Amino acid sequence: MVRAKREPRSGGKLHGFAGGRSARYSAFELVRHGMRHGEWPRVWRECDLRSTYDVVVVGAGIHGLATAYYLATNHGMSRVAVLDRGYVGGGNSGRNTAIVRSNYLTPEGVRFYDRSVELYEHLSADLNFNIMFSQRGHLTLAHSDASLRTMAWRAEVNKLEGIDSSVIGPEEIKRLVPYLDVSDGTRYPVLGALYHPPGGTVRHDAVNWGYARGADARGVEIHQRTEVLGIDVEGGKVTGVRTDRGRISAPVVVNCTAGHATLVSDMVGVRMPVITHPLQAAVTEPVKVFLDAVVVSGTLHVYVSQTDRGELVFGASTDPFASYSMRGSLEFTEELAGHVLELMPALSRMRLLRQWAGLCDMTPDFSPIMGVTPVEGFLVDVGWGTYGYKAGPVAGETMAELIATGRTPELISPFGLDRFGEGRLVGEKGAASVGH
Amino acid sequence: MIRIPCPFCGPRNASEFAYKGESKSRPPVGSVTPEAWRSYLYDHDNPEGWVREGWYHRAGCRRYLRVERHTLTNEVRSVTPAARP
Amino acid sequence: MTAAVGEALGVGRLGPRAGEVIDREAPLRFRWDGRDFAAYRGDTIVSGLLAAGVKVFSRSFKYHRPRGVLSASFLDPGCTVQVGDEPNVRGAHRRVEPGMDVRPQNVWPSLRYDLKSANQLVGRFLGAGFYYKTFIKPERLWPAYEQVLKRFATGGRVSPGTPHGFYDKRYAHPDVLVAGGGPAGMAAALAAAGAGATVMLVEEHYELGGHLRYGGAAQLAALEELRAAVAAEAGIEVLTNSVVTGRYDDNWVAVLQRRHPDLVGGGFGPAGSPVVERLIKARTRSLVVAPGLVERPYVFEGNDLPGVMLSSAARRLVNLWAVRPGRAAVVLSANPDGDAAVEDLARAGVEIVGVLDARSGADLVRARAGRDGSLSAVELADGRSLDCDLLVTAVGWSAPTSLLNMAGDKPVYEPRAARFVPGGRQVAGVYATGGIAGDGSLDELVAHARATGAAAARGEPASSVAGLVLDAHPELFRAATHGMVDFSEDVSSKDLVSAAAEGYDSIELMKRYTTVTMGPSQGKLETVNAVAVLSEATGRSIGETGTTVWRPPYAPISLGALAGRIHEPVRHSPMQSWHEAHGARPLVAGQWIRPDHYGDPEAEVATVRERVGIIDVTPLGKLDLRGPDVPKLLNLLYVNKWSKLAVGSVRYGVMCAEDGVVLDDGVTGRLAEDRWMMSTTSSGAATVWEWAEAWLQTEHPDWAVHVTPVTTAYASINVAGPASRELLGRLCADVDISGEAFPYMNLRTATIAGVPGCWMWRIGFTGELSFEVHVPAGYGLHVWECLLAAGADLGVGAFGIEAQRIMRLEKGHFIVGQDTDGLTKALGAGLDWLVKTDKDDFVGRPELVWQDQERYQRLVGLQPLDGSVVPPESSQIVGAGDRIVGRITSSRRSPTLGRSVCLGFVDPELAEAGTVVTVLLPDRRRVPTRVMAHHAHYDPEGVRLRG
Repeated sequence: MVRAKREPRSGGKLHGFAGGRSARYSAFELVRHGMRHGEWPRVWRECDLRSTYDVVVVGAGIHGLATAYYLATNHGMSRVAVLDRGYVGGGNSGRNTAIVRSNYLTPEGVRFYDRSVELYEHLSADLNFNIMFSQRGHLTLAHSDASLRTMAWRAEVNKLEGIDSSVIGPEEIKRLVPYLDVSDGTRYPVLGALYHPPGGTVRHDAVNWGYARGADARGVEIHQRTEVLGIDVEGGKVTGVRTDRGRISAPVVVNCTAGHATLVSDMVGVRMPVITHPLQAAVTEPVKVFLDAVVVSGTLHVYVSQTDRGELVFGASTDPFASYSMRGSLEFTEELAGHVLELMPALSRMRLLRQWAGLCDMTPDFSPIMGVTPVEGFLVDVGWGTYGYKAGPVAGETMAELIATGRTPELISPFGLDRFGEGRLVGEKGAASVGH
Repeated sequence: MIRIPCPFCGPRNASEFAYKGESKSRPPVGSVTPEAWRSYLYDHDNPEGWVREGWYHRAGCRRYLRVERHTLTNEVRSVTPAARP
Repeated sequence: MTAAVGEALGVGRLGPRAGEVIDREAPLRFRWDGRDFAAYRGDTIVSGLLAAGVKVFSRSFKYHRPRGVLSASFLDPGCTVQVGDEPNVRGAHRRVEPGMDVRPQNVWPSLRYDLKSANQLVGRFLGAGFYYKTFIKPERLWPAYEQVLKRFATGGRVSPGTPHGFYDKRYAHPDVLVAGGGPAGMAAALAAAGAGATVMLVEEHYELGGHLRYGGAAQLAALEELRAAVAAEAGIEVLTNSVVTGRYDDNWVAVLQRRHPDLVGGGFGPAGSPVVERLIKARTRSLVVAPGLVERPYVFEGNDLPGVMLSSAARRLVNLWAVRPGRAAVVLSANPDGDAAVEDLARAGVEIVGVLDARSGADLVRARAGRDGSLSAVELADGRSLDCDLLVTAVGWSAPTSLLNMAGDKPVYEPRAARFVPGGRQVAGVYATGGIAGDGSLDELVAHARATGAAAARGEPASSVAGLVLDAHPELFRAATHGMVDFSEDVSSKDLVSAAAEGYDSIELMKRYTTVTMGPSQGKLETVNAVAVLSEATGRSIGETGTTVWRPPYAPISLGALAGRIHEPVRHSPMQSWHEAHGARPLVAGQWIRPDHYGDPEAEVATVRERVGIIDVTPLGKLDLRGPDVPKLLNLLYVNKWSKLAVGSVRYGVMCAEDGVVLDDGVTGRLAEDRWMMSTTSSGAATVWEWAEAWLQTEHPDWAVHVTPVTTAYASINVAGPASRELLGRLCADVDISGEAFPYMNLRTATIAGVPGCWMWRIGFTGELSFEVHVPAGYGLHVWECLLAAGADLGVGAFGIEAQRIMRLEKGHFIVGQDTDGLTKALGAGLDWLVKTDKDDFVGRPELVWQDQERYQRLVGLQPLDGSVVPPESSQIVGAGDRIVGRITSSRRSPTLGRSVCLGFVDPELAEAGTVVTVLLPDRRRVPTRVMAHHAHYDPEGVRLRG
């Protein structure tokens, strides 16, 4: 089943780059620059901090940058500052394994992530920045009757929502991933898989930079190395933020952080149903490309894809206890390697080159927290657990709409903070498993 | 791999334990409001700093322990039986 | 010996050297690029090939430029080769072995004629990040472009048939672990051992000694002395060709013992099985970091040509392997190591064409390639050009501080010494010594190391040791021209300058944009040059610019070593041998392997419904509960009431979590006044045990209850069917099992088939008259076989999980986790009859009280109007506009009823009996399906099981 015809994409053409230097990226410009050995213009400006903005976005990751980008492109709001205590895309946006898919369990989840896939499909052209979206196909393996049932459940919901998603058997899996051991005798036999052809990977840094460049071109200011120290609230309303570079007045502050959802929300006294766990990932040394699809096993808590450079990128489940540490652990790599070799025994000679950790704000129902809070003007786009990257574009688009119109878009209405107090958890918890 | 000094078994690898999350006190079920109950269920302090939490020595003495741990350094500064009066 | 082999041993090989590590009595043959070569035992792949006149070992990643030796060490970026089925072998480190099949990587079609080297011609257009700026439109062509990019992926090949090999692990608990076996490491280890500590000394090379190994007579003498002392010290365990790959929280230290010819077929591991690698996990009180220094390449045009190498490389080649690295050399020297290289080369008969002393301002501009693509001349800053085939640079060192950084330290830049040094902020229990800590004479370094080793042994703080001084060194990073910064990634200083100008002007952004330092050596050779170039481009100092974060592992580590011997234990019941002998199809159920069926599940159903069957239900969770307060515990954990359960009785119960979601179910019976037996689902056995302990230990420590898990202490067999009483009666003499004496939902202790200490209860999942017997596990198979033998005339047969699933669905029993999900609260599962909200307290009570006032989906029995259609499980139930209004959670063809039967969820307004809903099959057919009055499709009144 193929998805319905796409809506026209959002976002306008790039325009108004400062400086008059050739700003558009294309093969032609690449050659021209190569011949002249000229310099490309800066991807984004370094600006002085102003004393007032219409909107302050905390966090220059994909969510914050996309929110700012769509505020400027879709709603003409450009008096926007994106603040980050580090650098663009230096948090989870640069630490994730960049898997994009929409084969979720609940209709509301599927619709939301499908819009994201749709935005990703045209994002290179929208941003004039090749984000290297590789729709190489996404396989979630089932090693038991129970997980096969869950895969079938997802496939059925996906199909009803117009998503290309189906359950396939071991032979088809072997054809797609020849290095996978689908034989009977294994401890975790591969009984089937949920196959999602439009799923794949993006180059995460490129998305971050592309959004930053696009937002900057439309007047948004990106302030790196600018730490938010506090958020001022008067009479239940946000009035501004205090930073290590000075105070800013702003009627709207958006918490777009990952790994710091609680800490930033604490600044205004909004309690969060969030626990922060490290999530680790690792890459191997490069070898010639042999793995096309993204392969996930929930039972074995592992997901793997191979980059165009030849490295295998691995992820797993979050660390077993809450922590803000990003130091990484040995046991993560040991378990990971054991599980990878269960799936693909031929990889034992490959070497792990680098491991790292990000921080995941886990919510009770494996779904984000988006929208308004009890403090007027303080909005959240947090609680993204292990699935924030794939939602970046749609989260930015919908948060921008909420900020600009004051109305919560339908797509994000299930994800409000108030759902916890009201006991309306999102059904993604129904199939709680490793969610990549 | 952090170590947790179990008061019954001595210092052991964290992999012997199951993490049970922040210690919370259970509201009285007879009079609790939905909001208070769900705050108990779902909200967390989640501090960057010292936190009191439950660990279960699954592969050891099988006692529930109350651990004070720093969430940035993972340093453990006290471990007591969870049933401390 | 063939002529080619004889020549190979001779071309570049020098006469014997004092410190050489080759065994001239042990020549061996190996293959390189399809041809035979010879080398000596002790040669690395690269030293052997260099001696035979080979200069080019690989082609670079992007531009496919020919690459030769740069560092002659593990880090050498140009010397990565394929050895048999092993990709990315460090050819300048790995010792050559007889018969080894070594091939170049990243060449197409061959090392010599590489067509992709055409990329060099268009290199000016392929600057860092070029792919972000192109292939944008038209969108539909990007997948094709991507396929082309993928072809340029570098590295070796993985063969699909590669066997796992034998990898092992070991735990160690040394008092002191020393990372690095140079003079400082050895001295630290000796001092620590002298202070009474047990020491593990880990050295990356094949022998202890570090830079002393390729030094002059004085260094070799000092080396012998230290080596002898280490060998004589019983408290030191020496591991060579091993590397500390990571320091993790609480001094949990990973050591990789690399493939080593001496370990093959012996050493450790089962006799005869080659151990590929071993991962040692050491919990050490103190970690002493003494990796020495890494010599830094110089950035200039042509710095990656074959023939351009570091002074340490030239000295290693000459002194360790007796290989002449060239014929005519130019040396750029900024330090005594460069001067020593000049002397070593001269002694090796290399013509010294020129020595450029950087300390007095001499510099070079660029290196030029000759016709063969390797170095032919060097252009100097003073305008001269010198012909040569070897250019040696000695422009400074970098401190590989990774292990300290993993322990919380941040390196700081010392301009005077032109290198980053440890910031001294690492956590307690971590020490640094040797070149990484500072400079000095050999005696001064050894003294510092001894003091550090002693402090480490005693647990005294690192600050208690007087620090080393730092020698002045000129800051030399880049000449006036641009050259390679990252040799593995083909990233030049020009790429970095361009990236900075575009705004990627912090080291982390630059790293991500240009991929500088992201290659196999992870920045150990490249990071400081990258920082220096960035600093130059931005005008910020090197110190302000800072370095990237060093992340584990320190050295790459194979997946095999990390995985070790793969342990994935499974659990079997005592009757497993019988199941296997009788053709059971195995079913993986969590940790358990269970018989799914013995060939024909529908026939097994008929056996039970018409005669009598037995099923192995050993994995059923069983908790032995004792003590006077057990009823309090049961009342707390279960949603229903337990205070009045009489001795000899059994009751069904459901547990919910605090959010009201169904957690587990099962029956609990009272064996005696103060003894209960609780059963749980198979998958919930461990969870429920911990759950009970959690409530007892944290909320109710005053309750007198003792919980003992006895799941595998008893083998469990359900005897089901109309003839089950007759069958069991033949084996059970001491209990009256008549319907009057032993009614439904009762339990008894009994002797069965001569086995005392059994207990049984009259319950069952199948809906037939049934007895579930639990026998001490050691007698499980005996009782199983006795049941089959005693019931032969009754037509008894074994049945498996599938038959049980069919029968439980016919009876409408739900399965937690299949017919409920992570949000199903008790009422939604149809348990309103069971939930007793008039109890003061039980786990999850508030949510269930509130759920009663809400809308919620309900679990109902469902039957397609066309009984021949079995909707696959997970089929969705749809309403108007294909809105999802429910789903099928369980479905089977019922052989008993001759039609399909289901359980499923529907929206509350559809839950009324008789409502017809639409089930959408995966093949898009729509099946009208009736909502039933009961979950049970068969014998809803339960007449049969009460018989």
